[in-house]
Amino acid sequence: MQNKVLIANRGEIALRIIRACKELGIATVAVYSKADKDSLHVKFADEAICIGNSRSNDSYLNMNRVISAALSTGCNAIHPGYGFLSENERFVSIVEKCGLKFVGPTSEVIAKLGNKAAARAIAKLARLPIVEGSDGVVDSLEEGLAISNKIGYPIMIKASNGGGGKGITIVYSETEFRKTFGKTMMEAKAAFGDSRVYIEKYIENPKHIEVQILGDNFGNVVQLGERDCSMQRNNQKVIEESPCVSLNPLVRRSMGFAAVRLAKAVKYTNAGTVEFIVDKDGKFYFIEMNTRIQVEHPVTEAVTGIDLVKEQLNIAFGSELSMRQYGIKTNGHSIECRINAEDIQNNFRPSPGTIKNLVFPGGNGIRIDSHIYSGYEVPPFYDSMLAKLIVHAPTRKEAIRKMRMALEQFIVDGIITNVDFLYVIMHNPEFVKGNYNTSFIKKVLEEQNNG
Amino acid sequence: MDNFFDVRKSKLDVFNNNIRKKVVVQTKINISEGLFTKCESCNELIFHEDLLANLNVCPHCNYYFRLSARRRIQSVVDKGVLTEMFLNVNTTNPLNFPGYLDKISQYQESSQERDAFVCGKASIKGIDVAIGALDSNFMMGSMGSAVGEKVTKLIEFATLEKLPLVIFSASGGARMQEGIFSLMQMAKTSAALKYHSNAKLLYISVLTNPTTGGVAASFASLGDINIAETKSLIGFAGPRVIKQTINQELPAGFQTAEFQLEKGFVDLIVERHKMRDTIGKLLKLHKKEV
Repeated sequence: MQNKVLIANRGEIALRIIRACKELGIATVAVYSKADKDSLHVKFADEAICIGNSRSNDSYLNMNRVISAALSTGCNAIHPGYGFLSENERFVSIVEKCGLKFVGPTSEVIAKLGNKAAARAIAKLARLPIVEGSDGVVDSLEEGLAISNKIGYPIMIKASNGGGGKGITIVYSETEFRKTFGKTMMEAKAAFGDSRVYIEKYIENPKHIEVQILGDNFGNVVQLGERDCSMQRNNQKVIEESPCVSLNPLVRRSMGFAAVRLAKAVKYTNAGTVEFIVDKDGKFYFIEMNTRIQVEHPVTEAVTGIDLVKEQLNIAFGSELSMRQYGIKTNGHSIECRINAEDIQNNFRPSPGTIKNLVFPGGNGIRIDSHIYSGYEVPPFYDSMLAKLIVHAPTRKEAIRKMRMALEQFIVDGIITNVDFLYVIMHNPEFVKGNYNTSFIKKVLEEQNNG
Repeated sequence: MDNFFDVRKSKLDVFNNNIRKKVVVQTKINISEGLFTKCESCNELIFHEDLLANLNVCPHCNYYFRLSARRRIQSVVDKGVLTEMFLNVNTTNPLNFPGYLDKISQYQESSQERDAFVCGKASIKGIDVAIGALDSNFMMGSMGSAVGEKVTKLIEFATLEKLPLVIFSASGGARMQEGIFSLMQMAKTSAALKYHSNAKLLYISVLTNPTTGGVAASFASLGDINIAETKSLIGFAGPRVIKQTINQELPAGFQTAEFQLEKGFVDLIVERHKMRDTIGKLLKLHKKEV
């Protein structure tokens, strides 16, 4: 039977999935919004179906249209990519009920891990270290105050259904807590349609490190090492690398084991990422599990030599994992830069427009995942990522040099990008030393503004 | 601009079709029945669970699908709990109308109801009421002897217990298979309502899509307050019949709830989602202090 996959996404990840499908001999169906009719994923899929207007709500987020497109083209699976409907439990349960395979974990697992308070409880049972905080949802101000006073300030109030760095309030004192608690609940209700919040100790300037997981339908789970995603601006990742330079090998080992324990505890299938934060003493804590392929997956692919999207598809179509933990070796160092259409001078404002000329770098150890081309018009409706530039070299030092060279040759004419900003960071002595945490970019920008 | 993509694609097609002889076999997926409903108005597919949760209103275009009598009552009463009454009233075939009872048992099968009227005692916002609803999925909610008897019994029960009465109508009219016996129900229900009214009790009649014929001409329009659900058709004979009879063009919006509100036939129009709140408010306003 010919497998046929609908790709419920756009941009570089849609293209990435189409390429993996083609290599595996799987037929592909792209869906697109009116704004994306000239996008590469539309051109390169075997079939393409327009599913609505430019706004995401009318197209990529419209469950019924995505599912009808899959059914009417005779697909037997849907790959959600990242973002959009990828972690939407309801969408996944409808896909399952329609008899389609979902390239990702089951709706049941997504439901368990998607709710942060519930995920914490599971992690606790699986003996993962978690940041001190409330056991589940906090309903009242009094309850919240009691918990916060016990664990000590600063603390965070987090929306139970939040994500992407939104719905978090940091509180430094009791008086401030009284003022902000109700407001945070209201904001959570407005942003996520759910006012439930929970409380956690706030760890200042941590490193953000995540472990890549693969699980199959036969109970096998492997971990593919970590990614350091501490280079963030407003909780949006900018640069990712693997392995993490500052991680002690013992901590790395126990983090890997912890991630596998969690995945096994929920009978996790397909690709997923267990996110941890690491404090300045090297202690790590579980924060959440992402139940999808991630933007930064290529750095793991580079150091392990494993094609994660192909593995995702094989797992979804019922194959057993082709590797075991002992067979997974990491090799060299990989760094990814996210090239975005944004104006650094104007507070990182998105800068859509038409690309007049385009030159990509190339050569040994350089990979570019991108959907842009000369003449392509970057639509204003979606996220501003244009390309992922990934380098792979034997050592971190060589990888940084390769990245500098590649950024020098990454030329986009017609729209404003963050290439120069990334180039500057690649020369920052602290970054080169590997001495950075999640507040790094903020500090760099402040210094820049002060002269 | 697009041209170079098309050129490339057609070249690849030639290669794939003639040299590689790639054959794409279409796979057919079986979707379980009843997972989706297609909106009759905007043609959007609606996930069936969504439609149920939204009281059978299309979430895209606000089109009103029919609501069964039981779900209708559940949607307005407290906790959806109805103490059902008069379950021993059964339909007979007084005129020996051919195939009538077979038809009834078919409808009983498909709707899981005994006849087109579901009724009993419940409370709305804490106020006890006698409540009933006609089911348009059961022979178009038509009124035969059994339906008429149940309506009458409910009214009499309300009078006896001094309860306010709420009836949702959805009907094509009197049931023709029972002929004159059906028509008798108009007088019978109306008479029962007079006793209810003499007892100074409140009767709220809700006219839903469609309320026509003998039902519209009897208990449905005798409410102390007549409410129409948004987008309902309300009238005696249907627009097509009237048009043929009088041989004239009918005015725009003829027999819609909005038209009937303007002509004073109904007192207010209420959306399905606001029905419970509105009825609750009216009951509270008319509650007798004991």
